[in-house]
Amino acid sequence: MIPFIIRKVLVLIPMLFVISFLIFLGIELMPGDAVDFMIPPDALATISQAELDVLRAELGLDDPFLARYGNWIGQVMKGDFGYSLQSGVSVRDLLAQKLPATIELSLAALVISTLLGSLLGVVSALNKGRLGDHVLTVAGMIGVAIPQFLFGLVMIVLFVFQMELLPVGGRMTPGNEAFFQRLDHLILPAIVLGLSMTAGVMRYSRASMLDSLSKEYIRTARSKGIPEWRVNLIHGLRVAMTPVAVLIGFRLPILIGGSVVIEQVFQWPGVGQMFVAAVRSQNTPVIMMVAFFSVSIVLTASILVDIATALLDPRVKLS
Amino acid sequence: MKKLSAIVLFLCLAAMLFAAGTQEAASMPAAWEAQGTPLADVRIRQALRLAIDMETIVDELFEGMAQRAVAMTSPGSWLADGLDPYSYDPEKAKALLDEAGWPSDYTLDVVYYYGDQQTVDLMAIIQQYWATVGVKSSFRKLEGDLAAQLWVPPADRKNGPSEVKWDLAYAAVAALSENEFYDRFESTASNNSSIPWQSGLDEKVQATRATADVEQQKAAFKALQKEINAHMYNIPLYHQLSFIYTSDALDIAGSTLGNDQFSFEKHILDWKIDRADGMLYTNGGPMEFYEAPAVNPGLYLYQELLFDKLVNADANLTPTEGMLAKNYSVSPDGMQITFELRDDVKWHDGRAFSAKDVVFTLEYLIKTPGLNAVALNTFKSIAGAKEYLDGKASSISGIKVNGQTVTLTFSTLDPNALLTFSQWPILPAHLLAGSNPVTLQQNSFWQKPVGTGPYKVSQTVLGNYAILERNAAYYRSGNGNVKKIFMHASSENDSNLVKNAESGRIDYAWSKSVADAQSIGAIDSMTVNPVNIRYTRVFWVNQYPHSANIK
Repeated sequence: MIPFIIRKVLVLIPMLFVISFLIFLGIELMPGDAVDFMIPPDALATISQAELDVLRAELGLDDPFLARYGNWIGQVMKGDFGYSLQSGVSVRDLLAQKLPATIELSLAALVISTLLGSLLGVVSALNKGRLGDHVLTVAGMIGVAIPQFLFGLVMIVLFVFQMELLPVGGRMTPGNEAFFQRLDHLILPAIVLGLSMTAGVMRYSRASMLDSLSKEYIRTARSKGIPEWRVNLIHGLRVAMTPVAVLIGFRLPILIGGSVVIEQVFQWPGVGQMFVAAVRSQNTPVIMMVAFFSVSIVLTASILVDIATALLDPRVKLS
Repeated sequence: MKKLSAIVLFLCLAAMLFAAGTQEAASMPAAWEAQGTPLADVRIRQALRLAIDMETIVDELFEGMAQRAVAMTSPGSWLADGLDPYSYDPEKAKALLDEAGWPSDYTLDVVYYYGDQQTVDLMAIIQQYWATVGVKSSFRKLEGDLAAQLWVPPADRKNGPSEVKWDLAYAAVAALSENEFYDRFESTASNNSSIPWQSGLDEKVQATRATADVEQQKAAFKALQKEINAHMYNIPLYHQLSFIYTSDALDIAGSTLGNDQFSFEKHILDWKIDRADGMLYTNGGPMEFYEAPAVNPGLYLYQELLFDKLVNADANLTPTEGMLAKNYSVSPDGMQITFELRDDVKWHDGRAFSAKDVVFTLEYLIKTPGLNAVALNTFKSIAGAKEYLDGKASSISGIKVNGQTVTLTFSTLDPNALLTFSQWPILPAHLLAGSNPVTLQQNSFWQKPVGTGPYKVSQTVLGNYAILERNAAYYRSGNGNVKKIFMHASSENDSNLVKNAESGRIDYAWSKSVADAQSIGAIDSMTVNPVNIRYTRVFWVNQYPHSANIK
């Protein structure tokens, strides 16, 4: 197991280099730079090119592309992720501010979608062809098809404006900053994000469960006189959950950037909003840091998926 | 929207009919050919304006929430009487085009830089209007370094050729002073990329800056407007309105509402809010940082309330009595201003405010890139500013301090100096001295700014909300009960404004969005107050010779 993990991690490093270079190149290819976004277009008319050049030089934007990338990667290797070009705040502090909000929301959504999705998927599979299965299938399709922002707005209209049960947005209000005090703010965005992710997990676990139930070892188990619930849950479900775990594993990266739309609709001060603002304003250090983080999580998730697969499915061995 | 589609459909049909009926153009060379572009011919510029039915556009596209423009200046005492409105007259437009020899195979290259749907709709409608008089046009949105693509003037300001690549540029001009509208018509202006030197035009522009007397300034502006209007040096389209939203819970104690893109006396200390906790809800809270008052000194409510200016302004942005200056005087020739500072002012951190802060702010902001043109011009007009900027002097010699009295001596007259001092605040020397003015916004000061204003920062959750609280040590008092101000984090264009208003969490806010005004107008507990602002949408017309776009 340990050598396996070490090998995987070693492969990660060159991949991170290549990916970071490609992202940096992508930002470079976008028209304009951060300075073009600091000064509104109407005001640009009254600023001389020389003044803009001074600002560019101060922000280190006047070096050639490769020199800037070299500087950036050099600093990153020393553990310094640079400063936001817009606010001058260190990128590390920015992440420390925004990451908890995003992780809180995404973890809640991940838990909701995993539990609900697996449960409904199994129920659907065990009732295959019956009414319950059809209802869940249709509901799942609607869940996949409905855009998050629309679902979010409908929920706001229902629970905020009509029933007046929950706050309209934000992560907390003054005086209610502890986790349990601000839980009401988390409910709507977590449910919307969670439900919109549930449908995928449900469809996946249904298919996987059906596949598993048709296998020969299930027939063997039944023929041995094992009770039906044990056949389904112990023998069927355990194997069926392997591909579901893979799916969930690959959803880990949403911990960083997957909730952009939800963060916008619910005014949630997370990494997603910050990332969109950074891309819009070509705030390279912030874009790079978020992208870097996101990529690292995708790659880490793939390793975790491999491990989880091995633990869940006795047929897979790490070698 | 249906009406909009109907207009476009109608215009398409009209364009087809016109195209079918077009006769072969005369083969004689047109007068403009020697000037290198058909847009150098005034008749063609007039025809382009006559072909656009701005009244219908204002009524239908903006649903009446905008004002048709005849000049850069909005209607009021600064606008000349008797300007030609160039009302919609497609027949006259066609006649002028024929007369001037409009090349029917020419496609106008029109650029714009706003990506909102309203701009795109407007461009589509104008394209159709032009098509109905036989003018082909293509529109493209600019990306990237806009300054380089839009405003670089040619080396030869009389004959060109043009440094920019477009025929017409759709733009907005937001002005604090009338000069911001008109200085760029001067042939020496650093941003005049489209209007060549014209006999007498520079003198008319200079006349607007040559006097400190308001009536003389108005006369000079009106003469200039007439000249521009007659020659159609640019094509004004419409004036945008701003909308201020107030809730039923808020009583603004009879204050006059004005242009909220800038600071004006709102008497907020007298406002009454009908909430037990004395909290007033607004938007514009910081997303990543509090915006430094350089490009925009008062766009956000916090800029206005955290910082005081030397001089106060009324809702029309006219400088009134002193603010940080208990009184001030301007010499008869306008070349000297003396501020006598209050001695009972403290920064929010308890330090005393002094003349040192004033000197620091002037010498600091003048070096900040992106400082608004009005302020920059004022600061540069102070005697010794040039030597200071060139590094030949360590301070600006025209700023003299005597105890709590600051005297500014100008080397050139700036009629807008008081306006500048009523909008750009004084910053704390003890917190910013020694930092780099070029990267002012990147200073950690803007994570929790300290000012002298009636409210101070209490709590900031970046990207979520921020709270200002009443400054108990403030040198003025009021009868109001607004103890705290809750600001939902948002940029100037707040996509959550309507939602927050609907949920009863907006008491005071403003925007320029017609869509916001319509939605908030439909909420029972909210009132929409339209306000005139100096914000004009225009086409700049490239009259320098440039590579012909004939296909």
